[in-house]
Amino acid sequence: MSETIGVPGRRGRSKGRLVQGVEPAAVALRLGSVAALLAAWEWAGRSKASFAIPTFTQTALAGVDLLGSRPFWEALGTSGQSLAMGMAGAVAVGIPLGLLMGTLPTLGRYLRVYFELMIAIPTAAVIPLVILTMGITVRSSALIVFLFSAPFITMNAYAGVRDVNPRLAEMARAFAATPRQFFVKIVVPSSLPMLLVGLRYGLSRAFVGLVVAELLLSPFGVGKLIMNASSMFQYDRLFAAVGLTIMAALALLAALQRLEGRLLHWRRP
Amino acid sequence: MTAAPAAAPEALEIRVEGVSKVFGAVQALEGVSLTIEAGEFVTFIGPSGCGKTTLLKMIAGLIRPDAGRILIGGRPVEGPGHDRSLVFQDHALMPWTSILRNVAFGLELRGVPKAERQAAARRYIAKVKLTGFEQHYPHQLSGGMQQRAGLARALAVNPRILLMDEPFASVDEQTRRLFQDDLLAVWGEERRTVVFVTHSMEEAVYLSDRVFLISPRPGRLVEVLEVPLPRPRADHGVRGDPGFTRLVERVWDTLKKLQ
Repeated sequence: MSETIGVPGRRGRSKGRLVQGVEPAAVALRLGSVAALLAAWEWAGRSKASFAIPTFTQTALAGVDLLGSRPFWEALGTSGQSLAMGMAGAVAVGIPLGLLMGTLPTLGRYLRVYFELMIAIPTAAVIPLVILTMGITVRSSALIVFLFSAPFITMNAYAGVRDVNPRLAEMARAFAATPRQFFVKIVVPSSLPMLLVGLRYGLSRAFVGLVVAELLLSPFGVGKLIMNASSMFQYDRLFAAVGLTIMAALALLAALQRLEGRLLHWRRP
Repeated sequence: MTAAPAAAPEALEIRVEGVSKVFGAVQALEGVSLTIEAGEFVTFIGPSGCGKTTLLKMIAGLIRPDAGRILIGGRPVEGPGHDRSLVFQDHALMPWTSILRNVAFGLELRGVPKAERQAAARRYIAKVKLTGFEQHYPHQLSGGMQQRAGLARALAVNPRILLMDEPFASVDEQTRRLFQDDLLAVWGEERRTVVFVTHSMEEAVYLSDRVFLISPRPGRLVEVLEVPLPRPRADHGVRGDPGFTRLVERVWDTLKKLQ
């Protein structure tokens, strides 16, 4: 056969690189910019521009101290619990609901307005309402996490279904697929890319919800840790707690992105 | 569940009786009647928008006629069925899974056990000359090879009628000619009824026993041309035959009046 065959090599699988598919020069540039930022921070802390800005080294030391302390791990455990509960709820409700909305267009058209509204409004405004009705518990911060992330997860699952290639739908119909087979074998895999993007958006929103809720609820999790450090003027501890929270969020997001790469390896590079 | 036996099933006759279809303000088809014999290879040809694909999809059971009816082996078409399968213009392979699973997909939908459907898929992958590409993803194959996979998927369900919607429209001429000969070879081994839609006059004449010429808006059957050229056509050097050229010119004479 004289047809040309485009068989690309396994892309982005080389383990040696720091970041998948990124050139060494780009990695150097990134590391350089991080180093510059840290140096600027160190200078800002030493210049005594504000007593509330600790130096990078002080913050790092406080961070190491925090990592070795019980209250930090307890706080992280509590926060992790609300995050896990809220996200689990958002996934359990959002994905089936979004897929259903895509499959039943009338339902989708009717419900999408509410989700678009939930995405548009500043969700933080509902926090006092949640606290008022449910009190200050792990469950109320889980609910807030849910409210922050569920609309994104739902709308992306919905968009994913509407992304189904009409040619594949016709193919399945021509092969006499049942509605169930069509859903399981065509709709779900077709919407997977959008669905995973939704999960990632949802997770980053969940972190925002979690931290905002805990700062307002105060006797909980890392929010409490941050508030305590603030009220006791331990700014190095405050910065370290914030930094560690950000790092935890980044680690989870990166893990999700890896999962995405794993599941969607069939996509054209 | 029907498993694919090694031998091809008996081909079926297709009767189209007074079929009409309107899309909005466009009369896609008007009073089309024709009969395609069991085991025959026919093509529908006509200018863009003449309703040839619409007619093919009606035979497939994907579109319902507004008037008239279509009978397959004497039974009216109610919808898609296991006796027919379709090869799509843009291949319609699932990008997220291997060629092997794509080719076996029709059988998977019918609940054929995995080992059995994979064996059938491998057999047809070999027939369309894609052996070695079972584990590749569709995007790793060229356009012509994707079409071959689409053909293998259609054949793997062992249909009695094979319907092909401009499958070679977007492949280069060289690939197209190789594919045409391979298609005829497969058809020669397992005589199914084949309905092939194309806008290439050479292709229509080269492949068919009969060519159906269809006019655009309203889509009507204007002429049926017999192609009495010997088979297998590759072995007889039909492309160089003066009779072949004359028939292509006859198709052109009719089509140019329809523009």
